[in-house]
Amino acid sequence: MTSILEWLQFVLAPQSINGLSIGVAVVLMALGLTIIFGLLDVINMAHGECYALGAYAVVVILGMGVSFWWALVLTPLLMAAMGYAMERGLIQQVFHSKDRHTLTLLLTFGMATVMEDAIKIVFGANPRSVEAPVSGATELFGLFFPNYRLFVMLLGGAIIVAVWLLVFRTSIGAIVRAAAHDKDMSASLGIPVSRVYSLTFAFGVALAGIAGVLLAPIYSVFPTMGRDFVLMAFSVVIIGGMGSIKGAVLAGLVLTQIQSLSSLLISPVWNDTLLFGIMVVVLMWRPQGLFGKLGHA
Amino acid sequence: MKANKLLAMMALAGLGTVALAQSGPIRIGVVTPLTGTYAGIGEQVKWGLNLAAKEINASGGVMGRQIELIYEDEEANPSVAVQKAEKLFQTSKVDFLTGTVNSGSTLAVGQVAERNDKLMATTVSFADSITGERCSPNVFRVNARAGMQSAALAAWVASTKPGAQVFYLGPDYEMGRSTVAAFKSAAEGKGAKSVGELFAPLDNKDYSPFFGQIRSGKPNVIYTSVAGNDTVRLFSQMSEFGVSRNVQIVGASGTVTGQNLAAIGKAAEGFVTGAGYSTMIDSPENKKFVAAFKSENKSDPDLYGSDSYGVLFFYKAAVEKAKSTETDKVRTAMRDLKWSTPQGVKTMRGGDHQAMQDMYAIIVKNGKFEIQSRVSAADAIGPDVCTKF
Amino acid sequence: MLDRFNSNSSKPNAVRILAIVFFATALLFALIGTVMGDSFYIRLATEALIFGGLALSVDLLLGHVGLLPLGQALFFGLGAYVSAVVLKEWAASFWLAIIVSMLFCAFAGLIGGLIAIRSKGVYFALISFGLAQVFSRVIYNTRELGASDGMTGVPVVTVVPGLQTDNPLGFFFVTWLVIGGLYLVLRYVMQTPMGRLFSAIRVNEHRVCFLGFDAWRFKITAFVAAAVVAGLSGALYPMLRGFVSPELMFFQVSGNAVVNVIVGGSGTLIGALYGAGLLTVLKSILGSFTVHHHIVIGLLFVVVVIAFPRGIIGYLVPVLEARLSKKKTGDNS
Repeated sequence: MTSILEWLQFVLAPQSINGLSIGVAVVLMALGLTIIFGLLDVINMAHGECYALGAYAVVVILGMGVSFWWALVLTPLLMAAMGYAMERGLIQQVFHSKDRHTLTLLLTFGMATVMEDAIKIVFGANPRSVEAPVSGATELFGLFFPNYRLFVMLLGGAIIVAVWLLVFRTSIGAIVRAAAHDKDMSASLGIPVSRVYSLTFAFGVALAGIAGVLLAPIYSVFPTMGRDFVLMAFSVVIIGGMGSIKGAVLAGLVLTQIQSLSSLLISPVWNDTLLFGIMVVVLMWRPQGLFGKLGHA
Repeated sequence: MKANKLLAMMALAGLGTVALAQSGPIRIGVVTPLTGTYAGIGEQVKWGLNLAAKEINASGGVMGRQIELIYEDEEANPSVAVQKAEKLFQTSKVDFLTGTVNSGSTLAVGQVAERNDKLMATTVSFADSITGERCSPNVFRVNARAGMQSAALAAWVASTKPGAQVFYLGPDYEMGRSTVAAFKSAAEGKGAKSVGELFAPLDNKDYSPFFGQIRSGKPNVIYTSVAGNDTVRLFSQMSEFGVSRNVQIVGASGTVTGQNLAAIGKAAEGFVTGAGYSTMIDSPENKKFVAAFKSENKSDPDLYGSDSYGVLFFYKAAVEKAKSTETDKVRTAMRDLKWSTPQGVKTMRGGDHQAMQDMYAIIVKNGKFEIQSRVSAADAIGPDVCTKF
Repeated sequence: MLDRFNSNSSKPNAVRILAIVFFATALLFALIGTVMGDSFYIRLATEALIFGGLALSVDLLLGHVGLLPLGQALFFGLGAYVSAVVLKEWAASFWLAIIVSMLFCAFAGLIGGLIAIRSKGVYFALISFGLAQVFSRVIYNTRELGASDGMTGVPVVTVVPGLQTDNPLGFFFVTWLVIGGLYLVLRYVMQTPMGRLFSAIRVNEHRVCFLGFDAWRFKITAFVAAAVVAGLSGALYPMLRGFVSPELMFFQVSGNAVVNVIVGGSGTLIGALYGAGLLTVLKSILGSFTVHHHIVIGLLFVVVVIAFPRGIIGYLVPVLEARLSKKKTGDNS
């Protein structure tokens, strides 16, 4: 019989800390999604594929003999460029029609299918691996944690804080929030709204790409990896509130903790169902999620 | 007068077609995943079949007729497989079908074969039920089934680690669970002890939540039946967290294969499984086969490639014994047929259409699959539980 | 969109003509096939019709009520499994399988609808997707239902004395009647006040409430109806192929149905059927040239969404209309 303290140290703590490393990744994905929705009112169903492309970008970059750290810097830039092109070239085409919501949903859904097939054709169906740049493990609370996971938690956390600061404490962030709050007013104040849209979309996609880079060494790289986080990310965004950064962060961390800890009680097969159940309950009780939109934070 | 001439011409044409049919190519349909997650396996199947067809045709074909392979993509989806199988039987008029990979596809296509009164063989599917309770008179299996793989592995574990403490980790779906159960009973029958059992969801991302439980069981052997991408994650995470230190990892034959070995990398070193093939099998036929395969495809054959290579020789031997391509005659010829393959001489057990072959415990060393020990065909095969014919 | 409420008769005529063309072509195709002694292409056409039924159910929700379902394959698969189980375990009766499937899916649709209907847009889409994921996983793990291998051995049954389900032309005809019947019923419903309300909800749901109608009740009815349509189509699948497998509930099937509807033309009902038929033909043709037909269809879908959002039928109807009214004014003058 283990005492409560031992249980806390050897069972609860590791589950919780592992949940934290997954949580950071999920929050990065959810942030990108919620920012895109908050400003553009566009549901990016191809977000999972952007995550996958980020991971494949690392594979390619490492394959060229460049180090992981460069991949960490280059990939978001590449993904941002791709996101900008996607927004300008594809999403803008349906943005101004009256069926916009359905059409953007369908368009991004179609883009996701094409992107996944393209990955399969270019890279093949077999999985790839990415070597973690940081190896070894540290002892924490009497248990071993891989250093790379700790690194992911720290870096991911730092990125999340940076995004928060960018959106709420800089003038760029103010511009984006203004455009989300009132597009016409912002335009008449001289804000290039259309370019802000494209850049914001690019930014959201870049965040997904970073998540892909960070998680590639842990979760390996294969064509259908985009589907891994999509349901989770969307659930987090919906529960937290579409467009709310605070909501995405809180919901992301809390939900991943619930998932990790619940696997102590119920079989992990029901994880997805549990998440889905929570999402349904939240939608029924409070359809707009826990917090408000981007414009209102 | 005219009518007689017409009748005569028709009779001649009829005879001619029959004659043509007997001398035209033998068409063999291949329904295999050419795209999708299992495309890697489908590729090996294709390579094996193409090489066998080339060799057979070069040496005169089957009863003087050339073999023609017709490929269709089943996308690892039984609904598509059934459609393509029907297309091959009806439109391309194939005499024989092979290539299905997942068990669902094999079973469903087997039913199509029955309805078209044609035969098929699988070279990949290892679910016991295909030649067990769901056997079919039109379905043959030339590869080893799960029970045979477990027998080889359990024998090796018992001989190298007597009284082992085994922890079982499988994917939580029917096939994963039954594979674990099959090995567990084989291992316990040889004196191993079970210290724990866990099932993770398919496509599980993170296995770290399970490591605490595994560690507390203090196993010296971990058995797993995960496959594909799940294996890559499990193994790299186990090595990350140090769970695999001083523990022997063993698993199903589908766990580490040519398709995911590169991605698993160093974490796969020392992994042992039970399978029916290794490139290291020391026989002249195998050496010749491996060399030919490598020069054709720039890649080593794995068990899927070699079993697919062997199936055409199986068919050839049966047709030559039956002196015909008619379904009933070939089926009778196939039962209890012995034929030569890179793995040695295999025997097709008539009672359930399951091929009998020697099984090996295979270890991954330096990125290659090497042989550790061997179990004879008779010991590995297991009982005949097929009651349908 | 408002001109659908117009009682101008040339528009329904155009759609009617296209519908007649579709069903007549299908029948002709099957007859030619039988004469040529083929059964593969007839069965492929039957399968296309069956998935056309699923596309009809998606169009009912997407094109008429304005809800995008990303998990409609759930009801299709449920109908298929129920039908297979009834035929194997209960009684090899065509009518029993059909009726039980429809009832089961109506009930399932009611439960699903209660969960999903409170939301719109992407919320609805995700709940629909999630429901399909959860239940397909349950089936995937249930040994009694064949688990991941599915169930084979669905027996051949008699539809009416003299007509068995393994008769390619006969079963094609049965499917043709069922799908045709579904189409006619749905078209009729769209002309009734309830049908008008569906369209009204799609255009502006808030206004509907102000007009004194409970939108929720109508949405649930639509959802249940869609579930029954999908389930009935699904029930025909094991009769055609003799087996069912969990892949019938996977996202790919739901996604394909949506693609069929969009390419064919949402909101027109017959567009869904055209979409299913045309894409089946396209896949078959592409499949003989390249293995990568998926990406071609994906690209086609993206192009359609951007450039032709009303789909093939959506663009054909006005063209046909114009030609018909020219004829009319031609006659009158």
